[in-house]
Amino acid sequence: MSDLDKAIAQLRACRPIPESQVRELCYKARELLIEEGNVVCVDAPVTICGDIHGQFHDLMELFRVGGDVPETCYLFMGDFVDRGFYSLESFLLLLCLKVRYPDRITLIRGNHESRQITTVYGFYDECLRKYGSANVWRYCCEVFDYLALGALIIGASTDMQPTDAPLVDPNSQAHVPSDATDLEIEILNSSGQIINRFQRQPRQSGNSQDLSQLSNPPSSPSQTQPDQTPTRSGAPGTSATSNSGGSASNSSGAVLCVHGGLSPLIDSIDKIRLLDRKQEVPHEGAMCDLLWSDPDEIEGWGLSPRGAGFLFGADIVKCFNQKNDLSLICRAHQLVMEGFKEMFDNTIVTVWSAPNYCYRCGNVAAILELGEDGSNAGYAPRTNGDVGRVGGPLAERGQDLRMGPGRRYRVFEAAPQDSRGMPAKKPVADYFL
Amino acid sequence: MSDLFRQSINKETPPRPKPTPITSTDPDDNSSSSSSADSTASINTVRPTSSEQPPPPEHWSNYFAQELYLSSSTPTSSATYHVYLTPPTDPKKGPLFITHHGAGASGLSFALLAQNLRHRLPEAGILSLEARAHGSVVKSPEDDKEIPDFSITTLTADALAMINLTVAHMTWPTLPPSILIGHSLGGAVVTQLATDFALGTALVGYCVLDVVEGSALEALGHMQTYLASRPSSFASVDEAVAWHTRTRTIRNAESAKVSVPGLLKPLPPSSAESKASGYTWQTNLATTTPYWPTWFTDLSPHFLTARGAKLLILAGTDRLDRELMIGQMQGKFQLTVIPEAGHFVHEDAPEKVGEVVEGFWRRNDRGSMVLPMKVDQMLAKGMKV
Repeated sequence: MSDLDKAIAQLRACRPIPESQVRELCYKARELLIEEGNVVCVDAPVTICGDIHGQFHDLMELFRVGGDVPETCYLFMGDFVDRGFYSLESFLLLLCLKVRYPDRITLIRGNHESRQITTVYGFYDECLRKYGSANVWRYCCEVFDYLALGALIIGASTDMQPTDAPLVDPNSQAHVPSDATDLEIEILNSSGQIINRFQRQPRQSGNSQDLSQLSNPPSSPSQTQPDQTPTRSGAPGTSATSNSGGSASNSSGAVLCVHGGLSPLIDSIDKIRLLDRKQEVPHEGAMCDLLWSDPDEIEGWGLSPRGAGFLFGADIVKCFNQKNDLSLICRAHQLVMEGFKEMFDNTIVTVWSAPNYCYRCGNVAAILELGEDGSNAGYAPRTNGDVGRVGGPLAERGQDLRMGPGRRYRVFEAAPQDSRGMPAKKPVADYFL
Repeated sequence: MSDLFRQSINKETPPRPKPTPITSTDPDDNSSSSSSADSTASINTVRPTSSEQPPPPEHWSNYFAQELYLSSSTPTSSATYHVYLTPPTDPKKGPLFITHHGAGASGLSFALLAQNLRHRLPEAGILSLEARAHGSVVKSPEDDKEIPDFSITTLTADALAMINLTVAHMTWPTLPPSILIGHSLGGAVVTQLATDFALGTALVGYCVLDVVEGSALEALGHMQTYLASRPSSFASVDEAVAWHTRTRTIRNAESAKVSVPGLLKPLPPSSAESKASGYTWQTNLATTTPYWPTWFTDLSPHFLTARGAKLLILAGTDRLDRELMIGQMQGKFQLTVIPEAGHFVHEDAPEKVGEVVEGFWRRNDRGSMVLPMKVDQMLAKGMKV
């Protein structure tokens, strides 16, 4: 067993590794990450995860639900640290896995992977507590600076191979399509049972499509109520045709993954590639926006209430996706009580992977699996931001939206043992009037 | 003759000019030398005239241009409100920072923050309100006794009255674009003002300092014990200042010197028999006890849903309750944590709070806000998107 495998085993048991090993690990990780571009290319199949925030036991639960590395290929969209009590173990385990299986796990940067934020929200204090010095925190921060800013997933299939798992609630059978053809979305619980399925809807011509989002899918067993299960009306549809069974190619456009969202300074993926990322997250500018922005029900751009980044509306997302030949933007950054939330006619999705966030929010978590396009002998044309595709007014392009990839969400709840080892509650403040 | 004695004698010799309020153009001019500064004076402006001594560094006139006594009476109450004010250079542009202190504190709690903000934004105005029984006096016309009503509704109505009376007194056409800043109880008051939309569109945003519904309600249980452990009187003002810094209630000695004197009043004559001179708390917090839960209940939902930009400054990370934790992680407000400060964040770290509040104003200033162009605007202009 190599030292690295030993370190992985030790971290899996939620025990920190010695400082000298951390230094070596961070050095190796940096050597690896420096070779990656600002936007990493990842081939489907891949499982996409959102914020972790040091909830180590929930990360273990995530691996249980989604499969282990290296069997499953993972993409983590940042915010590994802060808030939870095991930022150190969580981040170091992910980093070890990255160094051990570089092609099976991708890590991109979140707004919490920053010196300034970690000194306030827990990671710095945790390192100090566990090692007695800030060295480990410093090594980790150096790694943060090398993390990619985004990832581009290519070769994801529009088709989804349905699981033949049982339904959670047999009574809802009438509402869940039993005919497993042309599935676009499948939602499973942590035991692999089907909570819900959505078939691809034909896009009605001339109709701007109901803007109803897949905002509150019954995503956890407790929330599943047959009466509320959307049949066809709530199902999403971005496809130009309902019949996509062609054998030539049924791959979707590429999927862009980024922690926060878009930036008014970035209109193409190539512009992200031009940034100099090896620095602390700045207070403003393109790099800051990618890590801080949020989608919102507005038109165009808006001021973010967070004090950093921007809000961006459906028009911005659709325009960006069209221009860059994307079928979907996948991001994290915002807590979603249901674990995931699709917005803007399924052109953007928020994935949140920290269940019962901060041990008190009561939310469930989700991960998103994108399947591989098996047709065409697995060949996936690179469709990232081809120049010259663009032209003509928006009205014409509206129908040109790429068919979204088949999406399987696995929803899970907090690991029961996560409250163990929690530090005693801080005493309440002295004076509070 | 000792050096010290000689110094003290020499200090006494030159004629002492009257204290001069700081002018509205130069916030750094704390010198009390020339300039009669009548331009900023008004009938209701009271400046210390009884003593010939120059104002000591901790005097309010070093931090605010004027103090106002504003009267208002209704059939059920007659109020004399007390506020400190430095008017904005241009009342149309603002900004006006309106501050409200916490229970048991005073308007001078914001003195150092006011000074810092004026340093950063020389055109800005500061209005520091004082709640009833904290500098303002609201009496019943029937028996001429103070009305001990400290419900959040009443305190909010008082704050609104003070703001409106100040606008009228200054003959501003309307309320300048404003940012509300409230500490502790004051945070609840400003949140209520924002929730009621009481300031209309003049309100740009509101900032709450170190108070969160969940942890505040939790802390109320310990508050009686805490209050009981406070000394009931002090032999001198200096002793009171020393007590505040020693117990780290206020960690910034400079601020404590300014704000603590405002918390005290001389002991009533009855007890003066035993002590020649002494001071006690100006505000009897025990009388406010029944109202404590009303101050903080529903603070979190109100904070999240009221109109305007939202800023929460906390002195520790672990004070967010569930609702605000969710709101923060959904990006609904700006959160800044200042771990090195205590509960009196704005007194302990006026520079840091000033920096954050300045950024908050600049970001949300509608006069200068430039958002990126919308897609259809860009298309209409024939731009490449």
